[in-house]
Amino acid sequence: MRNLLNLLAKYNNLIIFLLLEGIALYLLSTGNNYHNTRVVKGVRGVTRGVEQKVSSIRSYFRLREINQELAAENAALKSTLESIKNKEEQLFFSVTDTVYKQQYTYTTAKIIDNSVNKQKNFFTIDKGEKHGLSVDMAVISDDGITGVVVGCSKNYSVAMSVLNLDFRISARIKSNGYFGSLSWDGQSFKHAVLNEIPQHVAVNVGDTIETTGFSSVFPEGIMIGTISNYENPGGDFYLINVLLNTDFKKLNYVYIIGNMLKAEQLELEKSFQ
Amino acid sequence: MINSILRYSLIFIILILLQVLLFNNIEFSGYVNPWIYVMFILLLPCEISAWLLLIIAFFTGLTIDLFCGSIGMHTSATVLAGFVRPYVMRLISPRDGYEPGSDPSISIYGFKWYLIYTLIIVLIHHTVLFFLEVFRFTDFFRTLLRVILSSLFSITFIVLLEYARKRK
Repeated sequence: MRNLLNLLAKYNNLIIFLLLEGIALYLLSTGNNYHNTRVVKGVRGVTRGVEQKVSSIRSYFRLREINQELAAENAALKSTLESIKNKEEQLFFSVTDTVYKQQYTYTTAKIIDNSVNKQKNFFTIDKGEKHGLSVDMAVISDDGITGVVVGCSKNYSVAMSVLNLDFRISARIKSNGYFGSLSWDGQSFKHAVLNEIPQHVAVNVGDTIETTGFSSVFPEGIMIGTISNYENPGGDFYLINVLLNTDFKKLNYVYIIGNMLKAEQLELEKSFQ
Repeated sequence: MINSILRYSLIFIILILLQVLLFNNIEFSGYVNPWIYVMFILLLPCEISAWLLLIIAFFTGLTIDLFCGSIGMHTSATVLAGFVRPYVMRLISPRDGYEPGSDPSISIYGFKWYLIYTLIIVLIHHTVLFFLEVFRFTDFFRTLLRVILSSLFSITFIVLLEYARKRK
């Protein structure tokens, strides 16, 4: 017994170290994969106040730019509205027609915490379950895709940014419709990588890359970016570098897209697997 | 005693705020981000007992983790930094040993000593931190490059902050 006590006294620092390191690694392994659902709900509430203050100060500096973006978007929306109006004069719509049933819902939200310099970037937005958000909803900005919601608390949500090593999305080349898988390689916040485009396809620098809508998360045809360069690494597929259209460094306002028919689609797909 | 606790608490708050409000928002080319909060582990008194150092390191890391939403990552890196500090100090101890009751500061032990001291601990801290962040060994050399570049910036800022601290 005395020997044991001596041993403990001799190595007490090592024991404390191992204990604390053990706690830290335990927290890391449980709390960090796909982060935050837990963290958002509990501990992050502590730091939220600070983050929100910083974000509100920061958005002051960008007010002019934000106003311009909003004005431009307003103009675009007005012009589409105008074209729809014209159509309505010519065509007859049945109100109960299920073909025109709304599939996607849009909610605006503000980003209150964002990063681009980590390997697994997440951002926090100021809407949550209370506003109808739930996990696996798509997040886009005016310029293109931004991320996917991975955790919701009552008033806030955390979304996985496109700039995250775990992020995958099905994407296609707009001009010819060939689709592949888009992910981030962890290098530059301006670029992502498109894989699985077969080598016989004609690929040009500057081609538009957009979402396919296969995943039931993103609607079809949302802008992702343009091809900045491509190479043949050998093998069957191109390695395509995509210049992201969204500037993740100055994200401020985003739209959260909910798919109202998602449950139906998933259920049907599941029954065939 | 109470006085020094207050002083260190104040330094702690300042360093955390500097890290969260300023340095987390600075990105050099999106590749490098300095983590200067490790400085708090560096500037605690020479004679602090190892277990207290470990516990302080644990809570320093935890605080940063709360702000960065990365529970456990900074905590484990900082606890390791706190663990190696006594060994590093023994390894590079000046010829006459450490003056009792002194801080490991640049004004007492000189620029060269402080630079080596900072370099070793920051490198260990950053290596663990960045590899835990990626959590894989593919792209090993790119992660290593991030470690080295970020350490370089962290060390520069820590030395500058150390000069600023001694000024007042």
